Order: sequence, then structure tokens, then C-alpha cells
Amino acid sequence: MQQLVYAVASKDIVFESFDGEAVVLDLSTGKYFGFSDSGSRVWEALSSGVAAHALVGQTAGTSTIRLAELESFISQLLEFGLLAPAADAAAQPISGALLAELADTSEPLKVDIHDDLADLIVVDPIHEVEEPLGWPAVKQAS
Amino acid sequence: MPVYNRERYVGSALRSLLRQCDDADLDIIVVDDGSTDASAETVRSLIEQAPCIRLFQQANMGVTKARNTGLRQLLPETRLISFLDSDDISPAGRFRADLACFAADPDLDLTYSRMTLIDSLDDETQEPAADSHSITVRGIHLSAGIFARSLVERIGGFDEDFSQAEDTDYLLRVFESGPRFLMPDTVALYYRRHPGNMTKEKNVPFREFMRAIHKSIKRRKANPSLHAVDGIFDFKDLAHWRFL
Repeated sequence: MQQLVYAVASKDIVFESFDGEAVVLDLSTGKYFGFSDSGSRVWEALSSGVAAHALVGQTAGTSTIRLAELESFISQLLEFGLLAPAADAAAQPISGALLAELADTSEPLKVDIHDDLADLIVVDPIHEVEEPLGWPAVKQAS
Repeated sequence: MPVYNRERYVGSALRSLLRQCDDADLDIIVVDDGSTDASAETVRSLIEQAPCIRLFQQANMGVTKARNTGLRQLLPETRLISFLDSDDISPAGRFRADLACFAADPDLDLTYSRMTLIDSLDDETQEPAADSHSITVRGIHLSAGIFARSLVERIGGFDEDFSQAEDTDYLLRVFESGPRFLMPDTVALYYRRHPGNMTKEKNVPFREFMRAIHKSIKRRKANPSLHAVDGIFDFKDLAHWRFL
């Protein structure tokens, strides 16, 4: 698995970074995924096509990322439907800036799920209007 | 009511409030956020007939700061506060219906009612046009609420870090605070869909919306005494609508 390149699993998975924290929403379920600092950096790397093996052994805070730890984290991301293997994709290089940020983290790899705001996230009538589709062509809960 | 370049709509929005003067003792605070069109003149022409409208003008600073400017202008005797955007319509009877809740319960902090999203309003009647399409939901909108002054003071101003979704952030903070509230079935707002709605811009609004969600989760993680915001917003019906 560690040789693999991943991609964001579907167009329902949207993500942003706020003050260095990655936030991922699954618009089809309304689930919110919050990441630890190192988890945020690893999400950023994997979701942009950095191969998993390029992360093993990298410095994260006071330790280095171990294979088993990374595999367990990635299997969660796969299970949550955030990432999917992208077998044919070419691996992207990891940037020096991202490695520096990873080295500067202090928390273990972690992702938390929150679903208590799912009502807002699944269909937001004001903020989630897709212009080309007319109105209100809102996101269909599936 | 914050206004920015809405000469086409601001008069209608204000008239929709003025027709409810018999139902509530209204002090209508309009903040013109540096409009470059005739919005301010339109407001002034209405003030001549309705001195309960007060106009404040400032250089363009964005809707969040304009809302805070408005909150700073509350009269000392004001007990209840609501909001109306300059392109929306307050349905006749909206205040009468929900003010009754406050009359029945002096400790009430908030009513949070429903809104109708609509593509065409009759200018004359300010009611849905005969050929309009609409849907009514309990959405995320400041106009759905009537807020007790004490609640507004407890919550503080709009977070000026937000260029948009400041309303989502504000409502989440309100509900997290555990207010004493009711959810009447009143239609508190006709939300007009037209080519100038600011929330139609791509990308920025959704990022801001995500940030409001993110901040809510962080706040509640840091402070477990805050309340979950559960079972309030309900716009499931919108999922069945595709094209109108």
C-alpha cells in the first residue's frame, strides 16, 4: 500500500485549510473531518498526489513517520471515503515547504469525525448554489 | 439593514417593514456601506415619510462591519432585534406573529422561524408573484430570528474575520450559547433570488461557510459547556428540488 498514490475520492469531498488545519467535508453525508497538525500536513500531501512512501521516515515533530502509523491513518481515510487509490496517477513530489511544516508539528496523525452539523453541510440553501445549474439546483443528498 | 448598491430593491425592503409599523414599534437602522448608486437617496426619500428609519453612511467595508455598525446604533430602549437584507422582503404579519411569543414568555431569548426562497415577487403586493416558484424551509438566515437584546449583548458582534458567512457564524454562536428559543412556523422572510445576490459568487462563500462550521466545532471542543446545534436548521426539502 505504501507505494500507492491517492486522490480525493469524489467531488463530494471538499477541503480547505484554516490556520494550518485541514478541514474536509463530505457533502453527500454532511460529515466533517478535522485533522491534527501532522494529519493536516499528511492529508495535504496525499490529496495532492504525493506517494505514501515518500512520507515514511519524514520528521514530524519529535519523531519520524512510521510505516505502520501511516498505513493505519491512510486506511482510515480510505474507509471514510475521503481518498481512493489512484493507480495510474504519477506521484507528485513533496514540497520542501510542506516537509518543513510537517517537521514543525506536535500531534500524532489523527482524524476526527463530527456529524452534528450535518444538517447544514448536506444542503445549504444560501451558500451552496451551483450557478450553471440554475436555481435552486442544490446538492442532492444521496 | 446593511445596503450596498441596491437601489433597485432597498425601497421595497424598507416598505415591507413600514407596513408592519402597527404591529411593532420599529426603529429601522439602515447602514449604507459606501454605495455608489442611488441607494442612500432612495432611503432618504423614505425617511421623509417614515422618521423611524435612520440612515448611517460609511465607506465601503463589507457586510460584516456594516452589520456591526448597525448594532452599535441600537437605541437604549430597544428590547428586540431582527435583521433584513436590502434585497429581501419581510412578509406582512411576520412581526405580529412572532412578537406574540415574546409577549407570552418574558424570558424568551429568540424566535427562529422559516424563510421562503422565491424567484419572483409582486412589487405591488410584496407577495409571491402568480408565476413564481418558491420553497419554504428553516434555513440559515438572520431574518428568521427575533433576538432579545440581552441575547445580542451576550453574543457580541459579528466576527469581522468573516467577509461572508458572518451570518452562519453568528447563528451558530447564538445556538451554541443555549438560548431559550422557540421555532414558530411563521414565514419570516421572502428571500429573493436575483442576478446580484452576493452569495452567488463562486468559491469564496463556500470557504467562508466551511470556516464557520470549523470554528463552531473548535469552540465546542474547547468549551464542552456550549450546546450542540442540533435539530434547528431543516432544509431537507431542498434536496428534492432541482430546476425551477
